[in-house]
Amino acid sequence: MIEPAIEVSDLALAYRLMRNRPGTIAELAINALRRQVRYERLWALDGVSFSVAPGELLAVVGPNGAGKSTLLRVLARVLPPGRGRVIVRGHVSPIIELGAGFNTELTGLENAVLYGALLGHDPRWLQRHGDAIAAYAGLEGFMDVPIRAYSSGMIGRLAFAVATLGTPDVLLIDEVLAVGDEEFRTRSAARIDELIGGGTAVVLVTHGMEVARSRGDRVLWLDHGRPVALGEPDHVVDAYVRSVSDPAVVAR
Amino acid sequence: MVPGGVIPAPPPRVGVRPVYDSADTGSPVLGQLRELWELRRLLRIVVARDVIVRYKRSLLGVWWTLLNPLLTVAVMWAVLSGIFHARSLGVPYIVYLLSGVLLINFFQQGVIAAGWSMAGSSGVISKVHVPPALFALSAVLAAGVTLIVSVGLLLVMMLATGVGMQPSALLVPVPLLALAMLGTGCGLLLAAAAVRVHDVIDFTQVALQLLAFVTPTFYLLSSVSEPMRTAVQFNPLTQILLLFRGLLWGSGLPPWWTWAASAGSGAVALGLGTVVLARTWRASAAML
Repeated sequence: MIEPAIEVSDLALAYRLMRNRPGTIAELAINALRRQVRYERLWALDGVSFSVAPGELLAVVGPNGAGKSTLLRVLARVLPPGRGRVIVRGHVSPIIELGAGFNTELTGLENAVLYGALLGHDPRWLQRHGDAIAAYAGLEGFMDVPIRAYSSGMIGRLAFAVATLGTPDVLLIDEVLAVGDEEFRTRSAARIDELIGGGTAVVLVTHGMEVARSRGDRVLWLDHGRPVALGEPDHVVDAYVRSVSDPAVVAR
Repeated sequence: MVPGGVIPAPPPRVGVRPVYDSADTGSPVLGQLRELWELRRLLRIVVARDVIVRYKRSLLGVWWTLLNPLLTVAVMWAVLSGIFHARSLGVPYIVYLLSGVLLINFFQQGVIAAGWSMAGSSGVISKVHVPPALFALSAVLAAGVTLIVSVGLLLVMMLATGVGMQPSALLVPVPLLALAMLGTGCGLLLAAAAVRVHDVIDFTQVALQLLAFVTPTFYLLSSVSEPMRTAVQFNPLTQILLLFRGLLWGSGLPPWWTWAASAGSGAVALGLGTVVLARTWRASAAML
């Protein structure tokens, strides 16, 4: 049996929010005297368990604020879990909020080298293959331009090209298929298929029900940080779509 | 233009194939030091980014590196040169001033830039896993580029004003390294605190300005009366500055305690900063 690339058991994570958030130290002191400093725990994730095998695509669906992006951040080692255990085996390529880590003052090539190097690639190799990256992303002639002149689609292409270099063991994608034109969507889908064939485990957060249905090997449905269902794509997506038209289904 | 083509497969990524286990109880300090070492090639790129971004939209670009200390020193010299007499200093007052201003400027810039580095790079930090010390380290190194250029300027000025050069000037990297360690350590501490409360940066800014007055940048240590002189001597920056000047134009090598205080304060600050940032990082990550 092959070891799973991702193992998550009973994962929980709370953001601590301060009620009556004071603007100044004086207000904080007054609130403290009145015993009005209260923290509220917002459970962004609560009791989530699943595993993803190499070459498997797990689609994650759910309404806004369900904890989907938080989940990706935990898998990307950006946020430590509050409770439970997370094991991720191998090199991870996160594409979370496309290009949000890019610096708008730097050129396309400078950003590609920086982002690629952050993922652990050799900066000199990236520098040498700038032309190939540009051609792949359809950005020939734009690589020496600061990316503040780029459209969001162009930034998305560049980020995708760099994140999918080589064959990462784990690919985390947050709505990448939503940006970009039809051509980019088709090609990025083909590239993801290629990576899956090469053994990459993919976690894909999406609001596209058709995407979840057709691309997912399994689908995880999150709501308010809790797993509502995990399993067969058609089964889970149908249940989720039904719940949206009839909210009573989720209110357990 | 039709996008397409195939990017050849890059060589394997750095480091051993990582296995992330959140239940791993290993030391966060050692873990982060190992990651920093694996990503050392990245450090150069991030430093270059910091330098490029800083000067990208300016006409004079990196020349500001030289202009900044020159203008500062010119104004201070114009105001203060009547008060201090060259014969007691051993070198022209402008050289004396520049040597002090360089070191203080580097320390102030490096520490403040390191403090902002986390907040400034939160876009990256909240999306890609990187050792948190990376950006603080690169902020100090970017300030170090300025320091090296301006030390070159100082050497030129020493030759031009006929101060000449002692053989001991070859040892000048020692105080500079001690200063870099001190600045990095304080920068890491500030960064660790600033992730939680931004106010500490404003506070530090004031503290650094006051610290500059407690360092003999524009006056002689011997011209300060007790008990203030003791306070000035206990400032680690003073010891590093005395070592720096002693090596450049002093007669004979500076006394051993100046060396010890410089190296010691640098090592302690660096160690403390590394440990505190690594140990507080897990709890801070969610606040970015």
